Formats: sequence, structure tokens, C-alpha cells
Amino acid sequence: MGENTTAAVKTPPPSSGGRGFFSKLYTGTGAFQIISRRRQFYIVTGVVVLVCILSIAIRGFTFGIDFEGGSRITFPTTPQATTSEVADVFEEAIGNEPVSVQTVGSGGSSSFLIQAETLSVPQSVELRQALFDAFQPVGADGTPTIDTIGVSAVSSTWGGEITKKAIFALVVFLVLVGVYIAIRFERDMAFAALLAVLLDLIVTAGIYSLVGFEVSPATVIGLLTILGYSLYDTVVVFDKVEENVEGLFHQRRRTYAEQANLAVNQTLMRSINTSLTTILPILALMVIAVWMLGVGTLKDLALVLLIGITVGTYSSICTATPLLVTFKEMHAKIKGHNKKVYERRARAEERAAAGHAAADDDDVADGEGDSADGDSGDVARDGANASGGGAAGGGRPRAGVSGTATKPRPGARPASKRRKRR
Amino acid sequence: MAKKSGQFHPARYLALFGVIVAVLYALVFFTGDREPTPQLGIDLQGGTSVTLTARTPDGSSPSDESLDQARKIIESRVNGLGVSGASVVVDGDNIVITVPGSDGEAAKSLGQTAKLTIRPVLQSQPVGAGAGAPPAPANPAAPSAPENPSAPSVPAPGTSGGAPAESDGAPAPQNRVYPLAAPGDTPAPASGEDAPEAPAPTPAPSGGDASTAPGVSAQSPAEAAMTDKAREEIEAAKKTRQSTDPAVQQQSMSDLAATGCVGEDPLRGNDDPTLPLVACNANGQEVLLLGPAIIKGEQIANAQSQFDQQQGGYIVSLEFKPDASQVWADFTRENLQKRAAFVLDTEVISAPVIQGVTPAGSATSIYGNFSQSEAQSLANQLKYGSLPLSFSQSDAKTVSATLGLSSLKAGLIAGLVGLILVLLYCLAYYRALGVLISLSLILSGILVYALLVLLGRSIGYSLDLAGIAGLIIGIGTTADSFVVYFERVKDEIREGRSFRSAVPRGWARARRTILSGNTVSIIGAAVLYFLAIGDVKGFAFTLGLTTILDLVVVFLVTHPLLHIASTKQWAANPRWNGLGAMSDVARERKAAALAAAAKES
Repeated sequence: MGENTTAAVKTPPPSSGGRGFFSKLYTGTGAFQIISRRRQFYIVTGVVVLVCILSIAIRGFTFGIDFEGGSRITFPTTPQATTSEVADVFEEAIGNEPVSVQTVGSGGSSSFLIQAETLSVPQSVELRQALFDAFQPVGADGTPTIDTIGVSAVSSTWGGEITKKAIFALVVFLVLVGVYIAIRFERDMAFAALLAVLLDLIVTAGIYSLVGFEVSPATVIGLLTILGYSLYDTVVVFDKVEENVEGLFHQRRRTYAEQANLAVNQTLMRSINTSLTTILPILALMVIAVWMLGVGTLKDLALVLLIGITVGTYSSICTATPLLVTFKEMHAKIKGHNKKVYERRARAEERAAAGHAAADDDDVADGEGDSADGDSGDVARDGANASGGGAAGGGRPRAGVSGTATKPRPGARPASKRRKRR
Repeated sequence: MAKKSGQFHPARYLALFGVIVAVLYALVFFTGDREPTPQLGIDLQGGTSVTLTARTPDGSSPSDESLDQARKIIESRVNGLGVSGASVVVDGDNIVITVPGSDGEAAKSLGQTAKLTIRPVLQSQPVGAGAGAPPAPANPAAPSAPENPSAPSVPAPGTSGGAPAESDGAPAPQNRVYPLAAPGDTPAPASGEDAPEAPAPTPAPSGGDASTAPGVSAQSPAEAAMTDKAREEIEAAKKTRQSTDPAVQQQSMSDLAATGCVGEDPLRGNDDPTLPLVACNANGQEVLLLGPAIIKGEQIANAQSQFDQQQGGYIVSLEFKPDASQVWADFTRENLQKRAAFVLDTEVISAPVIQGVTPAGSATSIYGNFSQSEAQSLANQLKYGSLPLSFSQSDAKTVSATLGLSSLKAGLIAGLVGLILVLLYCLAYYRALGVLISLSLILSGILVYALLVLLGRSIGYSLDLAGIAGLIIGIGTTADSFVVYFERVKDEIREGRSFRSAVPRGWARARRTILSGNTVSIIGAAVLYFLAIGDVKGFAFTLGLTTILDLVVVFLVTHPLLHIASTKQWAANPRWNGLGAMSDVARERKAAALAAAAKES
């Protein structure tokens, strides 16, 4: 890894050096060194994950009524009372909002139904009195009586069973997606993607535990959305990586890590755009639904998604691809290839130091290769090789040319044709 | 590449999309109730709640474990019905089921005990005394044995199909709470009051769906007294109808035959499988004396409803666990041409004549004049197990929404604002081409809406708040396909292509990415749909739906439109497509390459 870092530093991106930050971001020319700084990202991610795990283990979660059960309060409706008034009285008496207030039945037999978190005995006494004072519910005999207000315990609806099933489904999902990625792409990518997603889950859950947000069914659903989103995001980046490393072993100009870095750069703008287009509606949901109307389910869902999508975007850029590169560099083949690339660069540098005529060519080509993707690198190299490639150090540049010729169609087209068009 | 644009006909794709939209909206407006509104979940529009009160044989309060177990079973039955968004809670000694919409009948069926036993039929006696009623088909053994080779069952006598409607007005012929078997065409005329064991405060419900419960209104007034009463009833019924004494058996049979099997069976779900049983046939036209059970419900491995081609009706097919499967094979071999009764909650739902041996391991079918939903419910009840308790059921009450229309409005406003924000961002970033995104998003929204309406009608999918939130999030992910596509076009331009030639090439690559990414989403949705239950299922459904629609829109609309745009002069202008910076990079690179080449030579 250290070796690689020095290599990356050695060849700074030349052509887009003069651009501003946003331009670099927008054009995706490989200006951001993400892969070579992966050790830093690992440390940051590791610390966050550790804190999250500790928080989950020590603080645990705050579960809502759907998991823990709660209290159900019923009393007959009175003509003038509305559900929001009932909710207000409840909030005044207990101090927090009820989970829901509904009317049940119709006509003379209708009643209010309040669901709330479990109430203690003094709380329920106080609540009954408050509700009685406010609404004077009438009993069967026609006179107002406090006995019409019933408080009972309700079970959790979302108890262990559903959670267990959701977790089982989750595991099956991860396995299937892992298999899919392994088949569609490759095994290392499957491991990297799954590991990254797992970290996403832990971090999102950890933030919930740390901040003490209440866990509701909406949270669990949100968590599942994040999984899909994060994996999707990762697959898009890996798709680009796969494209960039095609024919990797037929050239010695760029390492796997550099090509992967290029892929991350090229998809950076997409990742940001996608996150923005997803987060904008979620923000709208939070602001409008939550601040203006105080709707529980929406709040829970929006919150978990906001956290999860931010984490998921971070992970597809700063965890998934770096992990992939780390896995890849364990293979002897990639190691060998890296060595060849470094050797070649070292030689080129020596030649440059010695004032060799052909050294300039190699530097230009290398620089392009680091900052541009494969095809545009070809343009540069095609130009360079067309004139003096043969002179520049035996068969090596030739190998580069023949290697890139196996790339997707356009690369195979002679550069001259492209020139004609412009 | 020139060739490619010759092959690609954007107009055809757009036309195909138009046809899809037209067909969907034709279905929306010309089928079903023709109401162009999706079905809403409990949290948005309220629903129907049914309270089930446990009836224990000894009148004691049920244990928490058995209540919780019952709740779980009911919950899995709810989920077995499809995407519905129901909730099941234990409230004291009651279980409260809430389902979206105003139709509480489905919820009532969920509280069926569903204790299935298979018992040999020892004797049968038609329900005779009644006037007007045509005698029950004399010997159900003889006629119309279906040619199903493996232990075929005789369909319950009577007309098929619309039977329940005909029994309007008269007391339901068999006062089961759940219309497992449609009542026969003519209900036995004997009235409820004659039934010695009928619970007293049980007038038959008037009108409507006669096959659903009376007994419904029995619950409310004095619940404490009722449990005692229930216990007494059960005891009394056991004494007469589960006696081993032949004389008592005969007496019990003729009593039951005289009353015509009217009223809710007090024994329901509480019969002892090890003792003989006198019970009514589901059509209310026959009283049967049954031997002790040979197979019990716990021995069912799987149950599903099927359409039987030969009989033209719905059946429930049962698979037994290995032991029971062997027992059943032996039994059918030894009892050819005799009858076996499928007894569900102390009522005979089907008592076919055994026509052939069912080999061990193969499925057995129950015939019973089921409608599709009845067969489905029965299969679910059997598959998801019997409840550890028997319940009496209260009236179905309407429940108002927890969040209601104000939050629906909030959600919709949020969706609209979110959409506008996304569009503004896309217009700023992609300039004129952002219009394509808006169009794709709007069209996708139109498709989603039509499908929500149709799915609400066909499979009972109800849109709840989580679903709405899911759709709002879908805005972002639908926009993503375009983002992926357009970023690929950018890549191509960076490599020095013109906008015109970058579009088809960018598409070729983006297509792969979009397909790979969406496959992941679809796998996720499918797994969650099939393996998870409850709200997760509804969510997974929306997720899968938006993902598939995303693909439809991107292939049939976004790509053809961008393709058309790419052939227009204005689109190549950086002022409109916002791609100036990319062209600059391409130009710089080319210059660098040329400079290098020039230096060399």
C-alpha cells in the first residue's frame, strides 16, 4: 500500500491541474486521490463503526410502541371533541404526544381510541382525570362518569416475529445480491460491496442508538431501503471500475488502484447528483411533513433515509471501492502487475534524469493515463506512438498499444478517424 | 454508429409507451369499480376493526402465551392474504384485527380457529323435518364423484357459485362465522330458537352476507357472563355430541337433524378429537356421526387453493406430513367407497366418498363449493395453523385514520415540493435536457398511479404513509437512471465525441449499468416481498414497482427522447446541454496529444 501511495504522489494529474474544484468534480478527470488515501478512510470509517457498535452494545435502542407494546385508552366520543383536541389534552397531561388518536365506530356508539407508549399507574390516573375534565364523556346511563374512560395494555404489533423475519429476509437478500455481483462482476467486488453495506447498516443503526431516536417500523423499512440504495450505488461504481480495468494486464502504464480511482472520479458527479436528487425530496418530506404537521411515520422514515443515504453515498465512494482495491492487491497477479508499472515508471524517470529523448513521451502518456480514462488515454498514446513509439524503449509501448486495441470498439478505431470528424 | 441510428426508431418506443399508458388507463376507467383512486391504508383512511374475544373451554382467562401465539398465527394469516397492511394487536383478553377499507368480513375469517380433523363417517342422517326444503341429495355417496383419482371428494351438494346470495333473509343455514363452504341453495328452514345449544342472544343477522356470523352481536353486553355461559354450552354439547354411548349418539343426531343445524355451534373449535362427534355438514342438510380423528390439523404440511379444471370450482389441496400421509394412504385403501369427513372447527366442510387410494406423499383435495377467496382463506388458515384458542367475534367497527387526510396532504405536498426541487436542480445542472428528466418523472408518476389503482382493486394493495414516502423517494431513484445515462454521455464527450455520437454510445454503456443496478433493487424487493411480512411486504412491493417502472420509462421514453434530441442542432450547443466543460477537456487532451506528436516528429 505504501508503495502505491508514493507512486500516486509521483504522478500528479497534469492536464486538469489548472481547474477549480467544481470543474474537477464535474469533468471527473481523476483529480481526486481517493484510492491512494484509503488508509485514512479506513481509519475514519473504523473509528465511526467502532463507536457505533459500542453505542449499540451499551446504549441499545429506544423502541417505539410497535415493538414494546403500550397503552390503549378508549372513551365515548362527545359531539364537540375532535381527535386533535384529544391529542392536545393527552400531551398536556402526559408531556408527550400520543402515538395515534382515532375514532372507532359511528353514531351513538362511537368512541375515541388513543394509542400511546406504556403509561404508569399515576400517569393513567392523571390522564383519565384530564380527559374526563375536558370532555365529560357520557356513560350508558346518560350521565358523565370517569368510568367510561378505559385504559388497557396493548401488545406490540411489530414484535420479535416480524423483526426476525425481516432479518432473515435481509440475510437472504445480501447472499443473493452477493451471488449476483459475483456472477455479473466478480467475487472480490461482491465481498467489497457486502462489507460496505454492512458498515452502512451498522453506522446508520449506530447513529440511531447514539442520538436515541425512537425505532419504529418505519425505521426498519427505511433501513431496508438504504441497503438497496447503497448496493445500487456501489454497483454503478463497480460497473465503471470493471470497464476501466478491462485489458489491465495488457499495459504497464496504470495500476488497478489507479484505474479504480479513475472510476470513482468519473462516477463522483453521478453519486453526488443521485444523492441530491434523492435527498431533496426527503428534505422536503422532513420540512413539510414533520415541522409543519408533525407526522410520526414520515418523520421516522425521512430521518433514517437521510442518515442512511448520506452514509451510503460515503460508503460507495470511500469504503466500497477502496475495499475492492485492497482485496485485489492481495492477488499475486495484481501485485505483479503493479510491480511492472512501478518498474516502468522508475525506468522512465531514470531516462528523464539522463535526458533521454524519448522520456517526454512516456511522461505525457503516463500523465494522461492517470488523469483520463482508458479511451482518452488511447488518443494521447495513439498520437505519441504513431510518431515515435518504436524508438521509445523497445517493445514496451507496443504492448501498450496492442493491449488497448482489445478495449471496447471506439478504442480500436484509428485515432485519425476521430480527428477527421472534428 | 451511423448504422445504429438507422436501426433505432425512437418513435416506435414512444408509441409503445403510449399504448401501455392507454391500456392501463383503459383498465382503470373501464374495469372494476371504475373509481380512479387507489386503495388507502388504515393510517390514511381508517379501516375496519374486529375484536376477537377468547373463549376458553373452562371459562378462565387465556394465558398470555396462547394469546400471543394466536396473534402471531392471525398475523401470518393476514399476510397470507397478500399485501394488505392490516394490524393485529392483543388488547387485554382480546385480539384486535384492523384491516384497511370498510370490508371487515375478511378480518373476521382470520379469527377462525381452524382446527382441522379428518374423521371417518360412521352414519349420516339428512336434516329432514323442514318443510319446503328439498331433501338433501339422498345419497351423497353415489352421484357426481369427481374423476380425481386420488381420494376425490364430492363437492358439497347444492348449487355452486352464487349460493350465499340466495340465502339472504333466512337465517344462515349453518351459522358458522366464516363462510367456508357456501351454504346450499336452500337453507334449512328450521329457526334458530329451536336449537337447544344455540347461544341465546343470537338473532341471525339481517340481509347482507348471510353466510357470515350471527353471534356477532352476542359479545358486547355482558362479557363476564358470557364466558361462564360459553363454558356451560361447551360442556353440555360435549356430553351429548361426543358421547361414546350409541343411544346418546342416536338421540343427538336426531336432535340436531330436527333443528337443522342452525345457530352457532357452541362446540366450535373445542371438540375432542379422540372422541366420536355428531356434527352438521356445511350445507346444513345432513347430520353425520363421525369416528375419532385419524388425522389432525397439525399434521398438515402445506395447503393451497387451486382451481379445479374438471369440476370447475375452487378446491383446497392438502399435503400431509410423512406420518399422516401414510395414515391417510392406509385409510383410503381400507375404506374404499366409504366416506371420510374433513371437519373444520367441529363442522364438516366436506364428506366425500373415497374413490381411490391416495398414495402416501401425494396431495389430497377438499371440495366444498368454495369461492376463490373462501378457498384461499381456508388454505391460509390450514397452512398457518390452528389457533390455540377459540374466539367469539364482535361486530366489525369502522376505525378512523391514525394520521388521516391531513398527513396524506402533507405527504403529497412534500412529494410535489421534492419533485420541483429535483427538477430545478436538474435544469440547473443539465440545462435544457433537464426537461427530459421532468418528462420522464411525470410519466413515471402517471404509470405508478394507474398501477396503484389497479393493484388496489386486484390484490388489495393499500397505499399507506410508508408507501407514499417510498414513492417520494422513488423520485430520486427514477431520476438516477437519467443521471447515469447522462454522465455516460459526458464520458463520451470527454473522449472527444460530438454530442450526437456520444448519445448512442453513452446509452449502450448506461443501459448495462442501469440494468445491473436495478437488478439489485429488484432482487431486494422480491426477497423482502416473499420472505418478510407485515409492513415490510407492502414496502417491498412499492420498491419493486417503482424499480420496474423506472426501467420501462428509461427504455421507452428517456432514451428515445434523448436520442431525438441528439439529432437536433440546438442540443449540441453547450449553452443548452451544459457540456461545455467536457468538450474543453476533450479539446485540451487532443491538443496535448497533438503537441506531443508534433514534438516527437
